[in-house]
Amino acid sequence: MFFKFISSILLVIFFATYSFACTDPQVTSKSFTTQDATIVAHIGFISEFTVKCSSGDVSSLYAELGDNSIVPVAIIEKNHYQVSWTEDSKTARKGQYRIKIFNEEGYAAIRKALRANEPTSTVPEFFSVIVNYPGAYNGPWLRSECLAMIISVLVSYYAISTKAKIVS
Amino acid sequence: MSKQQSKGFTKEEELLLQDFSRNVSTKSSALFYGNALIVSAVPIWLFWRIHMMDIYTSLILFVTVTGISTYLLAIAYRNTKFTLKHKIAVKREEAVTKELLKKWSDDKKMSKKEKDERILWQKNEVADFEATTYSIFYNNALFLGIVIVASFYFLRSFAPAINYTLSIGIASGLLVLISTGTH
Repeated sequence: MFFKFISSILLVIFFATYSFACTDPQVTSKSFTTQDATIVAHIGFISEFTVKCSSGDVSSLYAELGDNSIVPVAIIEKNHYQVSWTEDSKTARKGQYRIKIFNEEGYAAIRKALRANEPTSTVPEFFSVIVNYPGAYNGPWLRSECLAMIISVLVSYYAISTKAKIVS
Repeated sequence: MSKQQSKGFTKEEELLLQDFSRNVSTKSSALFYGNALIVSAVPIWLFWRIHMMDIYTSLILFVTVTGISTYLLAIAYRNTKFTLKHKIAVKREEAVTKELLKKWSDDKKMSKKEKDERILWQKNEVADFEATTYSIFYNNALFLGIVIVASFYFLRSFAPAINYTLSIGIASGLLVLISTGTH
């Protein structure tokens, strides 16, 4: 009797889990990064994505960032998610950032791998999103005061050299 | 000698002395002071718009420093002109003589003395004009160059009011000092 009871509970849990887990996720994402870094010290990275499942629902999501830190993904609305982080404007590299997204199971596997001091790269991600960072504007290549100084020094040099020619 | 001094100098002697003296005509003086005022006032814009000094609260400082700088720059113009005038006169003498003699080649009435006097006068005019304009250019270029370099690089960590006073003071003071040299 007791064995039947336990078996039925486990069966219910199994089917419940199986029926609610997201399968074959279709992800559409868009990203934004800071474009003008003249007055800020950090570059903001934001990725927003929508997940559509063939069946089931998405549980909580977690994102692995470039420095291998795991952060929770914010739920903006149903099936609509957002992950964001900042990096120092001097060290942020240009190009594409591939952000691995994990579901609850993947997150548990990562934590397990971390506890066992194993590499987390072996844990398969749920899906991944790409954030493109083309670089930010850091001000003009040549600052105006520098240009003014160069011009004034050149004009002064011309004045001094001409005077030297006259006096000689 | 004393008799001659009591009588005063002849017209030729006065002209000769004027050529070799540091004194400038009223017209030149007005030109120097006008230019010096404009150039001394230009950095006000720099400190008002770039270094963000308030123009009304700093008005007394701006007027005082501009006034002192105008006076010093005018002295620098005058000294530089004096240094350059005779050097330019020597360099231009040949060209002026050639041009005027060519011009008077058909004029047989003019005496040699008159021709020499006119050549001398023309040479002085040319030298005076060139020395005046060049002196203004030379001092303006150096003044603005020193102000920009000092205010943006050497004195950038100072408060704007101190930066303004020191950069203008150093620039105009240095120019007067340089202009007192013989070369």
